[in-house]
Amino acid sequence: MAEAIQKKLKAELEKYTQMQKDVSKSMSARQKLETQLTENNIVKEEMDLLDSTNTVYKLIGPVLVKQDLEEAKSTVAKRLEYINGEIQRYETLLKDMEKKSEQHREVLSSLQQEFQRAQGLTVGKV
Amino acid sequence: MAEKGKMSAEHLGGVVRLREEQEKVVKNCESRIEHWLEVSGDYEALNDRLKTLPDQLSYDIMVPFGPLAFMPGKLVHTNEVTVLLGDNWFTKCSAKQAQKIVDHRLKYVKQELDDLTKTIKNFEARVGFAKDLETMSTGKGDFVDIREEVGNIDASVIKGKQRIAHKPKSKPKLDAVFDLNEEDEESGYGEDKKGILTEEELWARLDELEKLEELQDEQDRLSDTTDMNGEDTSSSSSEEEKEGDPTPPVNGLSLKPSWATMPHSTAPPSTDREEEEDEEEDGNCLPTIYFSHTVEPKKVRINTGKNTTLKFSERKEQKDQKRKKKNGHSNGHSHHELHKITTPADIYRLFVDMKNGEPIPRKSILKSRSRENSVCSDTSESSAADFEERRITGRSFSHDETTHSDTSDGITEEDSPTVVPLHPASRFEAFSGTVVEKDPMPLTVPHLTIAQPALPTILERKQEEVAPEASPPQQPPKRVSKFKAARLQQK
Repeated sequence: MAEAIQKKLKAELEKYTQMQKDVSKSMSARQKLETQLTENNIVKEEMDLLDSTNTVYKLIGPVLVKQDLEEAKSTVAKRLEYINGEIQRYETLLKDMEKKSEQHREVLSSLQQEFQRAQGLTVGKV
Repeated sequence: MAEKGKMSAEHLGGVVRLREEQEKVVKNCESRIEHWLEVSGDYEALNDRLKTLPDQLSYDIMVPFGPLAFMPGKLVHTNEVTVLLGDNWFTKCSAKQAQKIVDHRLKYVKQELDDLTKTIKNFEARVGFAKDLETMSTGKGDFVDIREEVGNIDASVIKGKQRIAHKPKSKPKLDAVFDLNEEDEESGYGEDKKGILTEEELWARLDELEKLEELQDEQDRLSDTTDMNGEDTSSSSSEEEKEGDPTPPVNGLSLKPSWATMPHSTAPPSTDREEEEDEEEDGNCLPTIYFSHTVEPKKVRINTGKNTTLKFSERKEQKDQKRKKKNGHSNGHSHHELHKITTPADIYRLFVDMKNGEPIPRKSILKSRSRENSVCSDTSESSAADFEERRITGRSFSHDETTHSDTSDGITEEDSPTVVPLHPASRFEAFSGTVVEKDPMPLTVPHLTIAQPALPTILERKQEEVAPEASPPQQPPKRVSKFKAARLQQK
């Protein structure tokens, strides 16, 4: 009994750790997105400080590609939209993952109790 | 390190772990603040450089050439700066614009710093609380855990029940009402019984009454002349006073001596009767309630104005009559009862009792009274017969009245067979050492009524209720009295 339960427990634990890893990954991704969002926000604000006389470049690989200011502004705005969408997506993803992890945790706790009981029984038998 | 801390915290308890986590947050914030301070310092330096950069057209500088070597060079286009906006966006702008951008970034850095300091303060407070919690949990601190047992909830529930228990409080009232009803019912039953009795026992009664009448007549004939004179005079005077002056006591004083010999108990009822008769004579339609207090039990008279006068005799009398059937004993009891009345409630009870007792006891009262009278004095019996005769004349009197009056009126009846002489006699009785209270009701004739102060509280409705009940029992005696009255008149 105890061994079977232990196996189950191990499997569940592995699943749970995997889940935790995924959660942490998505969390880190979300944080990156957050930083990008702030960065792009700053870029957008600073672009608003510039004139039409200023030239704007986009670093693509090792090369600075000259860009039109208005074009750059629009691309930055698009970029912001995209980042916001990504953040929301990750938000929902995180919620789902948290729910799943919660369920896993419950399963784990129940399994742990069973395991402990089985252990106690075995100990008692012994 | 953090993980180790966590592990230890888990072993020590959630509180410790919480505290450590919060401390970690605080440390993290502090490190970030340091970072942002560096950044702000860099930006400050950059800002200074940008300010001074365009001062000269060109600068001789040593240009870093790889990690190891520097090359002499010249810095030209001092007012041209390429700024990294972020996310790989670059822009070529003047030094002044670069300064603007730098200022903008400094603002952002300042904001970040403020946020971080706020979070640090917040978490430091939390850390303090966590420390307190730790000390509390360990029980080393000055803090004491105050716990209230769940039993309090039960107590609250009990309170609610107690509030509900107010209904029980109301119940007593209901009970009282029920009592009243019961009493009424009893009275009703009594009436019914009376009615039944009238059918069955009426004849027997009549026979008894006739016998009594005969005896009374004989007695009257023997004693008529002596009593009649004094009583007649007194009665006439009393009537006059009643009509003209509301102050009866003078008469009472004068009359007292004559009545002193007579049993006190008998006196009040007679007065009541007289009053009633007087009222009828006067033709007052106003309902008047008289409460008479004497040594005897309390009597309440209600004049509905329809020629129907209801008397309520206290149960005391009834009880006394029933139990002891002796005037002396009854008097003593009445006194005791009177003394007992300390609160209006007592008075109320007394009246209620009266109600209860009235219907049934009336008959019994008549019987008992007659017996009592017989025991006490032959005159009383004769007087009772006379009253009955008077009733026959068509005036309705309550049994109580008749009974009471019987004892008192014995002499008067003897004197004058007609109703008129009776009144004076009763008045005389009333005057004998008894306190007379008059109802506030506008009564043309001042009646000599001996009323207890408490009695006036009686409700009219009660009287009304009692009135119908009382009337039926009265009738039989009236019939008898009619004949007698006729005989007396003939005489």
